[in-house]
Amino acid sequence: QFKSSDPPPPRRPLNFAESHENDEEKKFRRVFQQLAGEDMEVSPNELMDILNKVLGKHGGLKTDGFSIESCRSMVAVMDSDSTGKLGFHEFKYMWNNIKKWQAVYLKYDADGSGTINSGELPKAFEAAGFPLNDQLYKLIIRRYSDEHGSMDFDNFIGCLVRLDAMCRAFKTLDKDNSGSIDLDIKEWLQLTMYS
Amino acid sequence: MSGIAAKLQHKRDKSHGIGSNSRAVKYLNQDFEALRQSCLERGQLFQDDCFEALPSSLGYEELGPNSYKVRGITWKRPRELCSNPQFIVENATRTDICQGALGDCWLLAAIASLTLNKQVLSRVVPHDQSFEDDYAGIFHFEFWQFGEWVDVVVDDRLPTKDGELLFVHSAESSEFWSALLEKAYAKINGCYEALSGGSTTEGFEDFTGGIAERHELSKADPHLFNIIKKALDRGSLLGCSIDITSASDSEAVTYRKLVKGHAYSVTGAEQVKYRGDTEQLIRIRNPWGQVEWNGAWSDKSSEWRYVSDDDRRRLTKRCEDGEFWMSFSDFLRQYSRLEICNLTPDALTGDEFKKWAESEFEETWRRGVSAGGCRNFPNSFWMNPQFVIKLEEVDDDHDDGEEGCTFIVGLMQKNKRRMRKMGQDTETIGFAIYELPEEYSGQRQVHLKKNFFTRNSSAARSETFINLREVCNHFCLPPGEYLIIPSTFEPNKNGDFYLRVFSEKQAAFQEIDDPVECHVEQIVIDEDDISDRFKRLFGQLSGHDVEISAFELQKILNRVVTKRKDIKTSGFSLTTCRNMINLLDKDGSGKLGLVEFKILWTKIEKFLEVYKERDTDQSGCMSSSEMRLAVEDSGFSLNSPLHQIIVARYSDKNLTIDFDNFVCSMIRLETLFNVFKTLDKNGSGNIEIGFMEWLELVML
Repeated sequence: QFKSSDPPPPRRPLNFAESHENDEEKKFRRVFQQLAGEDMEVSPNELMDILNKVLGKHGGLKTDGFSIESCRSMVAVMDSDSTGKLGFHEFKYMWNNIKKWQAVYLKYDADGSGTINSGELPKAFEAAGFPLNDQLYKLIIRRYSDEHGSMDFDNFIGCLVRLDAMCRAFKTLDKDNSGSIDLDIKEWLQLTMYS
Repeated sequence: MSGIAAKLQHKRDKSHGIGSNSRAVKYLNQDFEALRQSCLERGQLFQDDCFEALPSSLGYEELGPNSYKVRGITWKRPRELCSNPQFIVENATRTDICQGALGDCWLLAAIASLTLNKQVLSRVVPHDQSFEDDYAGIFHFEFWQFGEWVDVVVDDRLPTKDGELLFVHSAESSEFWSALLEKAYAKINGCYEALSGGSTTEGFEDFTGGIAERHELSKADPHLFNIIKKALDRGSLLGCSIDITSASDSEAVTYRKLVKGHAYSVTGAEQVKYRGDTEQLIRIRNPWGQVEWNGAWSDKSSEWRYVSDDDRRRLTKRCEDGEFWMSFSDFLRQYSRLEICNLTPDALTGDEFKKWAESEFEETWRRGVSAGGCRNFPNSFWMNPQFVIKLEEVDDDHDDGEEGCTFIVGLMQKNKRRMRKMGQDTETIGFAIYELPEEYSGQRQVHLKKNFFTRNSSAARSETFINLREVCNHFCLPPGEYLIIPSTFEPNKNGDFYLRVFSEKQAAFQEIDDPVECHVEQIVIDEDDISDRFKRLFGQLSGHDVEISAFELQKILNRVVTKRKDIKTSGFSLTTCRNMINLLDKDGSGKLGLVEFKILWTKIEKFLEVYKERDTDQSGCMSSSEMRLAVEDSGFSLNSPLHQIIVARYSDKNLTIDFDNFVCSMIRLETLFNVFKTLDKNGSGNIEIGFMEWLELVML
């Protein structure tokens, strides 16, 4: 049997990021610590709890709640080290986006129905930073909207989180801005299976 | 996904030479030339907003903003400290570096060793900078960080107290390269205090990109003299020291004039004939440039009278320069430890040095998939990433008649996690080496399973499992193929690691893993083959449009699976049902007709069969190891990164996968294999995708 050796005295943690935070960021970190628990990472289930508790409360938007499948997918597209959980920085990035997109949702729900219908969708996506072509809008409506073409809040957020991650993934791989990327089967599967 | 894209791009960059010493990665995207130029144009001195002249750059505890130690510290530029500052004093006779108020003597020793090798020094300290030409208060240095060279810029505001530099400084008070180098190294580590308490080997490696071994001299390797000789032939950096037993011992001088707790360099090893016998000698240098050993074989000792005139002329230099000879046996008795930093081939130019052959891999351990733990855990040990080294040629000289191939294995854990999760320490790591039996000879597309490791015992292994940044050991084994299994001590510890092998002769070093292939059989069903009973059922389920939509499919499946007690499931999501329809919907209607639905039903029955059979503990769900085999039974061969992804994406917090997630992952895999095949029209194995096409494919 192997035996592990006695550990050397622990090296001190790095506090660089922490010491540079402003008060608002410090507050966010404390909230994160409460939400994420001891391991300081957010699992899909924890994410679902957070989203449903915090976001569902707004009266002006319709949602049947974030599903676990949708939260798994959001964690997958945001996760930087394929551990299946989100760390502080990944979560913070996503959270800031979600707050931004929540404001977009309320603003572009022109008829006040609580959902984004297919007519409102292009403007809302453009305002969120994603001007797409008609074909993509159609595809997105088919995938994320209900039978009547209306997208509720959880689908809207799930779709944008995914879209944002997909755009970033493409840009990361298209380093020379050629407009296209080359992939072999292993790379293709690694990218698309984890989404 | 975004993380994976970054990882893939990192691999590509590396294969294009980015991250080599000549094409270092710019730390925090700060470009030295551009920043200096803009400062010169604005007529301002550089102020680094990424590492500010503030208390937080000093430390957090002992050197924290409220500690008494930082009281009265001011940041000053060298020109405020002396009238004529120099970056490097070229003709300084002593390259003596002095320690400051920080416990980083390990760094000091590493910096001191650097000064002995001009070529290595020039890689860390680029010479395109000075206090005269184009001075703009900005300097830059290159460090090696986990497999790549990083170019780090700093401004030249240095922490001082009472007009003196607080930390590392040169004995020559007008020379500033060492203080600036320390500042740059503090920057990549977060702050100055983060540098306190490390090992010289860490500094050695970060300054050279080499691999550092440690030898405890009280239990020295029997071949150590030969190892030292070869290391010197290879231009390696060698440091030795005498342990101290208490703080007051530090720099205490023994009556033999050796300094305790002080970093010496080893500069030579020779054998001479002495009174008819062979005597092994070792040359050591005190970086102070004075205070030399006064025992046997020292400068003026009588032993030199009994060696040949030739040897005496060649080896002796009787002056007080800090350098002296001693016998190897005295060396083992007097000193406590020796550290050898073996350099990479690119660190050495010219033919005067022999060079190691080097190869490296970056991989990960992930809970439930590839974090298998050490051999004490036979059920999961085999799941660790596996590597093979093929040793073909034996060493040129084998001192004791034993033929063998010398190689060094270094396993290093990356500390990204330590930065992210405050306070988390390194994992306990190590590795085992197995001889690869002939039946596996030459095979690289195979991940060895549990059986192999229960039947075979290891040929060698790391000396210990320990929570250091790196575990590194020297081996000499007969020619053959060897399997190297790096692991954490306990299973299910996430970690990223970097594995290197330095071999005396060229040796092929590869990761071995299963190929990525899809063998799913196409199910062909004719409408006539479908039983009337199934047709009637379909009629009832599909309603008046005679097709099944995703919503209908979800209802049907959940009605069936939730009744079963033998499988666990949280119910099929709409997304999963959409995926199923996408896979089978040939006419693009977004719904399934009779034949399509029958094919899907057949598939689900097959999945259920596999699932039940692989659920050996009858828990109702797949553990991650059961899942690996179930994936294979379902017609897929996947490599370790893909198995990791499946667990990360589809398992719940106990690392188990329930039935709907199992089906969802298998359907998605098959769909993605199909998409790739469709895009790869000419079968080249590579696809080219434009941006819009990418979004259409991945938003589904």
